[in-house]
Amino acid sequence: MFDRDIWQEIFYSIKNNKLRTFLTGFSVGWGIFILVMLLASVNGMTNGFYSQFNDDATNSIFIRPGTTSKAYAGFEKDRRIQLRNDDVEYIKKSFPKDYEHISARMFKGTSARYKAETGSYSVQAVDPDHQIIEKTIVTNGRYINTNDNISAAKVAVIGRKVAEDLFKDEDPIGKFVEFNDLPFRVIGIFTDEGDDNAERRIYAPVSTYQKIYGNTDEIDGIALTYNSSYDLTKSLEFSGRLETILKRRHSIAPEDQSGIRIWNYAEAFSDISSFTTVLRVIGIFVGILILIAGIVGIGNIMVFIIKERTKEIGIRKALGAVPGQIIKLVLLESVFITALSGFIGLLIATGILALVGPSIQSPAFTNPSVSPSIVITATVILVFSGMLAGLIPAMKAANIKPIVALRDDK
Amino acid sequence: MIKIENLHKSYKMGSNSLHVLKGINFSVEEGELVAIMGSSGSGKSTLLNILGMLDGLDEGSYILDGVPIKDLNETKAANYRNKFLGFIFQSFNLINYKNAMENVALPLYYQKVGRKERQDKALKYLEQVGLKDWATHLPSELSGGQKQRVAIARAMAAEPKVLLADEPTGALDSTTSYEVMDLIQKINDEGNTILVVTHEPDIADMCKRIVHLKDGVIVEDKKVKQVRASQYV
Repeated sequence: MFDRDIWQEIFYSIKNNKLRTFLTGFSVGWGIFILVMLLASVNGMTNGFYSQFNDDATNSIFIRPGTTSKAYAGFEKDRRIQLRNDDVEYIKKSFPKDYEHISARMFKGTSARYKAETGSYSVQAVDPDHQIIEKTIVTNGRYINTNDNISAAKVAVIGRKVAEDLFKDEDPIGKFVEFNDLPFRVIGIFTDEGDDNAERRIYAPVSTYQKIYGNTDEIDGIALTYNSSYDLTKSLEFSGRLETILKRRHSIAPEDQSGIRIWNYAEAFSDISSFTTVLRVIGIFVGILILIAGIVGIGNIMVFIIKERTKEIGIRKALGAVPGQIIKLVLLESVFITALSGFIGLLIATGILALVGPSIQSPAFTNPSVSPSIVITATVILVFSGMLAGLIPAMKAANIKPIVALRDDK
Repeated sequence: MIKIENLHKSYKMGSNSLHVLKGINFSVEEGELVAIMGSSGSGKSTLLNILGMLDGLDEGSYILDGVPIKDLNETKAANYRNKFLGFIFQSFNLINYKNAMENVALPLYYQKVGRKERQDKALKYLEQVGLKDWATHLPSELSGGQKQRVAIARAMAAEPKVLLADEPTGALDSTTSYEVMDLIQKINDEGNTILVVTHEPDIADMCKRIVHLKDGVIVEDKKVKQVRASQYV
């Protein structure tokens, strides 16, 4: 393998047949280029899909009450279900091992005013855990904490857009903003990777809002994250149990789909995962087909090369070359050409991706790129395909009888 | 050195079988210079190819330097060729992208001789054929006679037991032919065993023994008084 002479032979052969080598290499380089581009595109689509979701924790479950569609346990149908604070406590108590973070949610609208600026925004009244569930990124100040909830403090964490709208160039932290004429102290500003609309939102402690709305214990929904070690099956099983127990608690028929809605992110996520997996498989499949075309091309040219070098091989055999040495010569040449041209294809493809990729940021197609594992796989495929392409011609070459080879020109 | 008994060889030509060699008995002692003569189709090249292990035999036995040559697979044949035989071809058969020295060194490469030693030996043999100054030239830059001398140096480089020359002067004009024969005679003078296939009587007369083949059998096998080629050069 690392015999200097054999490499010299290969370089001789390549140097003396530039066009032939180029044509051979081009088909494989092109194949690898397309394979990498294809996989990168699949990655880009995958990234695009995931970026639609990544503003929430992927292991989150959202519970929202609805209206029953069936009469059950003595209740008529069309009964509105109301969640309350003790539903949260109940879940905490019933599933201590299953949930990681949990937060009550209230959805209210408000008109906000600071000095002369006004605007109407949606307020989500939540518990401190909500920050993790929604993956809220606080850029200035802090999020709602437990003390705020205990004391029902009139504090608010406002979105970046809200801050821009109301405060212009002022620093909002510590300032008082009026929500429906009640003064709230701004304690933090957040951004959201999801979209601009999310940044037009305001977070406030749930206890504060319950107090404002008549000292109620009603809530509009519950958000929670489940144990992050759960896989899809376990998470679905957990949301199933959650549903059963909540339906029983609120006397909803087990088969009633509209009484309470439990939305498990994992489900939607797994749909997308399987979709992108299919895409990836298709990408790899098509890429390999293209590669096979390249390999056949190389094999083709190798057969031609052998034909051209028949006499030389005959001379070598007459001088004492054993078949193994001939096979090695032909095989190494084909591996070398394949590997080199493939690397060039790989380099060009990754180069283009590195240059252009990061600037592509549309919702369905984000940052097409290749992972090192793809590069390694492609390399392995390359060397292997070079071997494959060279093998049959090499064996053919090794089996040329020297007498036949030498007679060639007579 | 070479001992052949009852050698038969036939080729399949489509549905017909062509019986080329029909029972050859033949032996060569060490240091001989033998011309194998015969008209086209007499089987002389076939005989040489079998002697050179480039082709297999159908029937009979072949013993080379005490080693019975039989049941050859490609690897074994290649090793024997490398160890025992040096070839000189009519069309020289140099590798056209290698220079003279590299061509001469090639059999040594297959003997797994080290790089430096290979070059030294190749230069030594090139010097012996008078082409040391041409060591870095490609075959395309050499004349026919020079090419054949490089080929002879290459055949010698592996220090074989027997040199097999298939019409070594067939592609050369007479002056150059004599030069090449002079070289072959000199190599023979040093004790090397050489077989020359030729159809030219004057070339055959420069050997020490002439074997005549006709229709696949030896019709004549005589010792001759050697004509020195040097007198024509």
